[in-house]
Amino acid sequence: MDTSKRSFEGAGPSGPPMKRQNDSGGVEELVDEQFEGVPENLEDDGEDVDVRLLEEDLELHLGEAGRNWKRPDPPPQDPATDSLAFQQLDVDYFIGPPNQQLYRTDLSEVPILRMYGVTEQGNSVCTFVHGFEPYFYIEAPRSFGPDDCDSLSAQLNRMLGDRNSKGGRQSKFCLGVQMVQKQTIMHYQPQKSRAFLRITVATPNLVTQARGMLEHGVNVDSLQRHMSFVTYESHVLFALRFMVDCGLVGGNWVELKAGTYNVLNLEDPRKQSHCQLEAHVHYSNIISHPAEGDWLKLAPFRILSVDIECAGRKGHFPEAEKDPVIQIASLVTEQGQSKPLVRNVMTLDTCAAIVGAEVMSFAKEEDLLKRWRDLVIETDPDIIIGYNICNFDLPYLIKRAETLKVHDFPYWGRNRKMRLRIRDAQFSSKAYGTREYKEITIDGRIQFDLLVALQRDHKLSSYSLNAVSAHFLGEQKEDVHHSIISDLQAGNEETRRRLAVYCLKDAYLPQRLVDKLMYMYNYIEMARVTGVPMSFLLTRGQSIKVFSQILRKAREKNLLVPNQPRMQGANGDGVAYEGATVLDAKQGFYKTPVATLDFASLYPSIMMAHNLCYSTLLPPDRVKELSPEDVLRCPTGHCFVRVSRAKGILPEILEELLGARKRAKADLKAATDPFMKAVLDGRQLALKVSANSVYGFTGAVIGKMPCLEISASVTAFGRNMIDHTKKLVEERYQRKNGYEADCDVIYGDTDSVMVHFRVKDIGHAMELGREAADFVSKTFVKPIKLEFEKVYKPYLLINKKRYAGLLYTNPDHYDKMDTKGIETVRRDNCQLVRTVVTTCLEMILINEDEEGAKAYVRQTISDLLMNRLDLSLLVITKALSRADTAYAAKQGHVELAKKMRKRDPATAPTVGDRVAYVHIKAAKGVKAYDKAEDPIYALEHNLPIDFQHYLDHHLELPLQRLFAPMMNNPKELMCGAHTRSIALATPSTHSGGIMRFAKVRLSCLSCRTPLPPGVSDLCEHCRPKEVEMYHRSLGAVNELEQQFSALWTQCQRCQGSLHQDVLCTSRDCPIFYRRKKVQKDLGEAHMLLQRFPEW
Amino acid sequence: MDVDLEGPTGQPAALDDMMLGTSDDDAFRLQRATATYINKDERFRIEKRTYDNQYAQLYYCRLLKMAPRLKQRIEKQWPGVAVTKILDLPENQEVAVVGTLYKEMKLKPSILNEYNKERGIETLTGHTGFVSDDDSLVLEDESARMALRGIDAGQLVTGVVAAVRGVSVANGEFHVKDILFTGPQLQQPLLEATDGDKYVALVSGLSVGDEAGEPARVALLVDYLAGLLGSLPEQEQVAKVVRTVIAGGLLHSMEPLVQAAPQAKQRQQAAALVPIKDMDVCLTQLVGAMDVDVMAGATDPANHALPQQALHPCLLPGAVTFPTLHRVTNPHEFEVDGVTFLGTSGQNLEDIDRYSTETERLPMLERLLQWGHLVPTAPDTLTAYSFPDHDPFVIDAAPHVLFAGNQPAFATSLVEGPEGQKTRVVCIPKFSSSGTLVLVNLRTLKVQPITFDARMDI
Repeated sequence: MDTSKRSFEGAGPSGPPMKRQNDSGGVEELVDEQFEGVPENLEDDGEDVDVRLLEEDLELHLGEAGRNWKRPDPPPQDPATDSLAFQQLDVDYFIGPPNQQLYRTDLSEVPILRMYGVTEQGNSVCTFVHGFEPYFYIEAPRSFGPDDCDSLSAQLNRMLGDRNSKGGRQSKFCLGVQMVQKQTIMHYQPQKSRAFLRITVATPNLVTQARGMLEHGVNVDSLQRHMSFVTYESHVLFALRFMVDCGLVGGNWVELKAGTYNVLNLEDPRKQSHCQLEAHVHYSNIISHPAEGDWLKLAPFRILSVDIECAGRKGHFPEAEKDPVIQIASLVTEQGQSKPLVRNVMTLDTCAAIVGAEVMSFAKEEDLLKRWRDLVIETDPDIIIGYNICNFDLPYLIKRAETLKVHDFPYWGRNRKMRLRIRDAQFSSKAYGTREYKEITIDGRIQFDLLVALQRDHKLSSYSLNAVSAHFLGEQKEDVHHSIISDLQAGNEETRRRLAVYCLKDAYLPQRLVDKLMYMYNYIEMARVTGVPMSFLLTRGQSIKVFSQILRKAREKNLLVPNQPRMQGANGDGVAYEGATVLDAKQGFYKTPVATLDFASLYPSIMMAHNLCYSTLLPPDRVKELSPEDVLRCPTGHCFVRVSRAKGILPEILEELLGARKRAKADLKAATDPFMKAVLDGRQLALKVSANSVYGFTGAVIGKMPCLEISASVTAFGRNMIDHTKKLVEERYQRKNGYEADCDVIYGDTDSVMVHFRVKDIGHAMELGREAADFVSKTFVKPIKLEFEKVYKPYLLINKKRYAGLLYTNPDHYDKMDTKGIETVRRDNCQLVRTVVTTCLEMILINEDEEGAKAYVRQTISDLLMNRLDLSLLVITKALSRADTAYAAKQGHVELAKKMRKRDPATAPTVGDRVAYVHIKAAKGVKAYDKAEDPIYALEHNLPIDFQHYLDHHLELPLQRLFAPMMNNPKELMCGAHTRSIALATPSTHSGGIMRFAKVRLSCLSCRTPLPPGVSDLCEHCRPKEVEMYHRSLGAVNELEQQFSALWTQCQRCQGSLHQDVLCTSRDCPIFYRRKKVQKDLGEAHMLLQRFPEW
Repeated sequence: MDVDLEGPTGQPAALDDMMLGTSDDDAFRLQRATATYINKDERFRIEKRTYDNQYAQLYYCRLLKMAPRLKQRIEKQWPGVAVTKILDLPENQEVAVVGTLYKEMKLKPSILNEYNKERGIETLTGHTGFVSDDDSLVLEDESARMALRGIDAGQLVTGVVAAVRGVSVANGEFHVKDILFTGPQLQQPLLEATDGDKYVALVSGLSVGDEAGEPARVALLVDYLAGLLGSLPEQEQVAKVVRTVIAGGLLHSMEPLVQAAPQAKQRQQAAALVPIKDMDVCLTQLVGAMDVDVMAGATDPANHALPQQALHPCLLPGAVTFPTLHRVTNPHEFEVDGVTFLGTSGQNLEDIDRYSTETERLPMLERLLQWGHLVPTAPDTLTAYSFPDHDPFVIDAAPHVLFAGNQPAFATSLVEGPEGQKTRVVCIPKFSSSGTLVLVNLRTLKVQPITFDARMDI
C-alpha cells in the first residue's frame, strides 16, 4: 500500500552504532551486527513454544488452485538409483526428535538442519540433514591429558544439566570432549599446532551456555584448578558452522548421491514441509558442488511479489488492530522468465474483472486472508519480494490475522506446523547505519525487501517507490493517496477494480526493479562468493561475510578463530586510529587537463603487499625473538612477520578474491549467453565488494574480530603512499628534467592523486599520466599498483571532497560529467538548487561558458523573484519520522503537519509520510517554523512565497561555492539589477488580515492606474497599446494552455486510462505541483484576457 | 486525385492576363450573388472557461456518443457477433468490443523528459514523426483496457473510437480480425439549386508578415476576390463567389509579439505590430467586397487550444467595422444555401501526420470522416479545452464539404457513404507557398483551384 512506501527514508550512512536492549538479560550491550540475538535467542529461552513443532496437526483445506499456480509435478524419484541435485537457497535448523535411522543417539532432542532448494526441473526440495552436532573449542590447559577429557565432559554435562533441569526430557547435554591439534589464528605462532579441546554439545543453545561458563571460569575437577578459558569458534551460527564444515556456500548446488538418502514424495502423510520433495540424509553424505562450470546455472526458482492495500481511517496511518486489509496482489515469476506466471489480486468485497489477471473477491476479510495463505502454499515461492514488505506488508498481514483471530493464518512457511514469527530487531552497522526492523521468520522462504536492498546499495534522494521507479525504470508511478483508498473501497466494484489495478501495478514494480537491477544474480553470486546464505545478505552487515570467509580459510589451515572478549572502550570513541589522508585541495578552475592516478584496490593490495593479517601480527614483546629481516615494522610501529616466514590468511583470501575476479572478468568477456553474463557480472561485482570489505572488518571496533593493529597499519601505509606519490611526481615532472612544464599535485584523496601537468593536449596528459603511474608503481611492493585512469578537463576543484569535471578516458570525447560532493543530488534541497547547480556545471564544464553560467544564474534569480518559476522547483520535502510530540525543537514540517491535520485530517501527512512544503512570507516576528506551508494550500490561497528566503538560504551558499574558484567575489551574483524587480502576489480577500476590508478595484493592465467604472482593461492613455497588451495576455494564456494539456495528458498516460479521472497525488512526481499551478495560473491568465471586452 | 474539378484547371491565372482584362465598366455591372448562411459554431464557442476539469470527461463523452453508432454498424456489418465489455470478455470466442483506441508509442514526447537527468543528450531529432515500428494499440472501454494484436497501428491514432472483432487469449491480449469505425453519418439532403452556380472560396495560410513570402500575391488574391482583376468571364465567375472562408494562418507567426519583452524598445514593439496592421488592411479590403469567415489558425493571435475562439476585435480595428466580417471559431461549421461545411485550420491533420505512418493529407482527412471525429488526437497530443459534458468534435452528420486549411498541397476527393452521403473533401493548401485558392461549387460540389503567380519574371 502506498503509505508504507513512504514510511521510511534511508538511515544515515554512517551513524554511530546504537545501544541495544538485549532481549535475554536486559543488560545493555553494545553490538555491531549483533547476531547472537537473532535465531539463537530462540534457543536461549528454551520455552519458546513456537519453535517446536505444534502438537495439534493443522488441517489446511486448500482451495482449487488457479492457473499456473502449482509447480510442475516432480519426476518419479527412486533414492536407491537416482541422485538428487538441487540449488539450495536457504539453510536453517530446528530442534526435534532424532531420526534414528540416519543418526543413532539416545538424545531425545537434536538439532536437525534443513536445506531448502529447487531442482533443475523446478521442483522444490527440503532436505533434512541429520547427525550434525554443535561444537566449539577451548585451548587445552597445560598438563591436561587425554584422560581428563571424559572427566571434563561429565562435569560440563552436569553443569549444563543443572541449568536446564526444567527442560526435563533431555538426557545428555555435553556429548564429549576431544583433544585435537590446532592453532589459533591470532598473532604469529612459530609452532605448527598445539592441543585444543573440542567440546561437542547436544543442541546449539548449549554452546552459548557452555561458552559463558568457561569464559567466566570453572573449577576444572580433574586438575583441581579454577580456570577461565578463551573459547574458539563458539560464536559461529549453527547453520553457518554446518555450511563451513560441509563446504556449502550460499546458493550453490548440492547433490545427494543415490543410495545415501531417502525421500518422501508429494502426498506422503509424514511429510513435514510443503515442498514437493522431502529428503533425509546424514550430513556426511552431502556433496557440495562449487559454483563453476555446469553448476554455475540458476535453478528456476519462484519469486512471489506482494503488495497489500489497507483501508486506513481518516488521518491515521493504517494499524493492523483497526484497519482491514482490503486487497492483496500477488505475482509469481519464475527466475529467468520475463513475464509473471501468476497475476492474482484478492479483494475484499466485489471487484470487476481485470484483463490478464485473476481477481478473487471475498465478502469476509478472514476468508481473504485464508485464501491468500493458500495461494502462497500452492504457488510455493522460494523468494518473497516486495517494497517495504518486511516492515509493513507482511507484519501487517500477520497482525491483522491475529486481530481477527484467524489462528490458522500464519502457516505459509515451508513447514506445515511451523508458525510464522515476528520480532522487533535492530540492525546496526557502520556501513549501513542503524535501523529498526521487524524480523519475520518464514521457514524456507527468503524475504527480499527491495526497499532495504536499495537503501543499502544506492544513495538516492528519496526511496519512495515512485522515486525509485522514476530513477531506475524512467517512469513515474501513479500514487493514490491513502485517504482515497478508503473511498475507492467504499465505492462500487468498478472503483475497487481501479484500486486492484493499482495494487497489481505496485506488486509488479518490485519484480521489474529486481530484473532491471539484476538483483537475483548479484545476490546469489554474493552468497556464493562469501559463503553465507542469501538471507544473511539483507539482514546482516558486511562483517558476517568476511567472517564466513575467514572461518573457511582458517579451517583449511587448521587454525581456530578465537571468540574475543569485547574490546576495552568499545563504545566507538575510545579506540580510534588515524584514517585516510586527504591532501589539501588547491582550489581553482583548471582549464587544462588534470590527470588522475588511482591506486587499484588500495587497501587490499596494501594488506597483500605487506602480509598484514591476524596470523602474522607480532605482539611487541615477541619482536625480539625473530631476526630483523623477518619482521616488517609499519609506519605505526606495529610489527608483522614477512611472507618469507609465514603467509597471512587475509592476504591469501584477498589474493583468491582478486584472482577470481580477474577470471570472472575474463569469462565475462568471453561469455555470449546473457544469463551467463549476468551471473558472471554479479560475481565479479561481489568479489570486488568482498575484497574491499576485509579492511573494514579488521577496523570494526565492535565487530567480530577487530584488530586495529591491522587497520591502522593499512591506513598508515596508504597515507605514506599518497605523500610519496606526490613527492615523486612533483620532483620528476619539472621543466629542468626536460618536461614541458612544472607539474603540480593539486589534490589527493584516500586512493587517488590529481596531477596537473600543465599541458594543453588531453592525449599528452594521458601519456604523462600513464608514464607517471608506471614510474611510481615501480617504487612500491607488489601488488600495489598506481594506475592511470582518467583525465579531467576542465576541472573545477572547490575544496576537499568537492569537485566536478568532464571525465575523459580516451582523448577524443568525454565520457561523462563527474561531480562529487556538489548539490546535484542531495535530497533535502529543493529541486531549484539541483537544477541551477547542474545547469551551471553543464554550462561551465561542457560549454566552457562561464559568462553564460553567470548570466543564467542572474536570470534564474530574477525569475525566482518575479515568481516565474515552476512551483515544484521550490518544494522541499522532509520525512515526518516521529509523532509530532516526539520532536523536541519545533520544526517547519512538523508544525505544518499539525496545521494540515486541523484543516483536513484525511489528507494530512501522518508519521512516515514525507511532508512537502514551501516557505511563505509572513509578518515580522513570525517564527521560521511557522513559515512552512503546504504548496497546494499556498497556491490556492495566494499566499506569497518567500523568494528571498530561497535566495538566501538555498541558492546562495552552493552558488558561491561553485563560483568561488572562478571569480573574486561570487557574492556579485546575488545582488544587482536582476534582483531589484520582484513580484508581489496580491493577497486574496479570504487570506484574512487587512485584505478582508479592502475593496478590489481594477487597474489598467498596462500602467496600473485605477480604472473608471465600466472599463476593465486599459486606461485612456494606454488605449493605443491595446493590441500589444492583448497579445501579451494571449501569449501567457497560450503558453499555459499548452502546459496544461501536456501535463494532464501525461498523467492520463501514466495512470493508463483515458476514461477515468486522474487520482494520483504523488508528491514526488515533478509535475504534481506544476499541473496544479498551471491550472490556477491558466484560470487567472484567462480572467485577465477576458478583461479585454468584446466590442 | 479524383479529377472532379471544374473550370480551367492547371493553368494558373497569369498576371498579364489579369492586368489586361481590367475593365471598370464590366466590373460595375456585375452584381455579387447572394446565398443563405447559417452559422453552426455554437458548440465550438466557449463563453466561460474553467480549468478544473480533467480530460477524462471529454473522452468519456466521445465514447458515450459514438458507441451506439458503432453498435448499429456492428449489427449490419458483423451480424450475429456479440458485443461485450472488456471486463466480460470470454476466452477463445469471437466477440466485438467497442472502445477508444490508444496508441502506445515509445517515441512520443513526454513532458516528464524535461526532468530527466541527462538533458541535452536527447536532443530532439527531427520534430516530425514519433512513429516507430513497435508502436502498438490498446483499446479502452468505460472501465478497462486490452492490448490489441494482429492489427497494424500505423495509420490509426489515439482517440479514435472503434469496434474490434476478434478473440481474447489467455494473457489478456485480443487478436483482432477486423476493425470497424462509425463511418460517415447521415447527411442532410442537398437542395435543388434554382439559380445556377454559386461558389464558396476557401483559402488559408496567407502568412502576413512572412519575410520570405510574397506580399504581392496576397494583394492579387484580395483584388481578384473583390472582382478587380481578370477578364470578364473571370469576373463573372468571381461575382458568383458568395463567401470567402479563411481557414487560419492569417499571420505568419505570433512569436515576435509574445517575445517582445515589456522593456523592449518602442521601435521593436512597433515592428512586431506591423503584420497585424497589414492583416487588418487586407481583410478590410476583402470584407468590403463580400462576406468573409475568418477562422484562427495555429499561427494566429487566438488561444492555442482547440476549439480556437474567434479573433479579438481589437486586432482588426478596420475590418470589424464591416458587418460582412465574421470572426468564427476553428473548427468552423456553417451552411450556405443548404450546403453544409465543416473544417479546421489544419491542426488536426498536422498532428495526425506526426503520430501516424500516413504521409498523404487527403487520406487522413477522408479517414476523419470514416472515424466520425474531427480531431481524434485531441487532447492527447493536440491541445484542447477540457469540455466537461460534451465532445464537440464528434461529427454528427456528414457535411457536404469537409476541409482542412494550411495543407502542404491542394488535394480533393468526393467520398460517398453507404447511405448515399456525398462529401467533398478538400485540403486547402497554404496560400503563402502555393498561391492557391479553392472555389467550391455549391450546386455540383465540384472544386476549382485557382493559382496566383505574382512573380515578375513571366
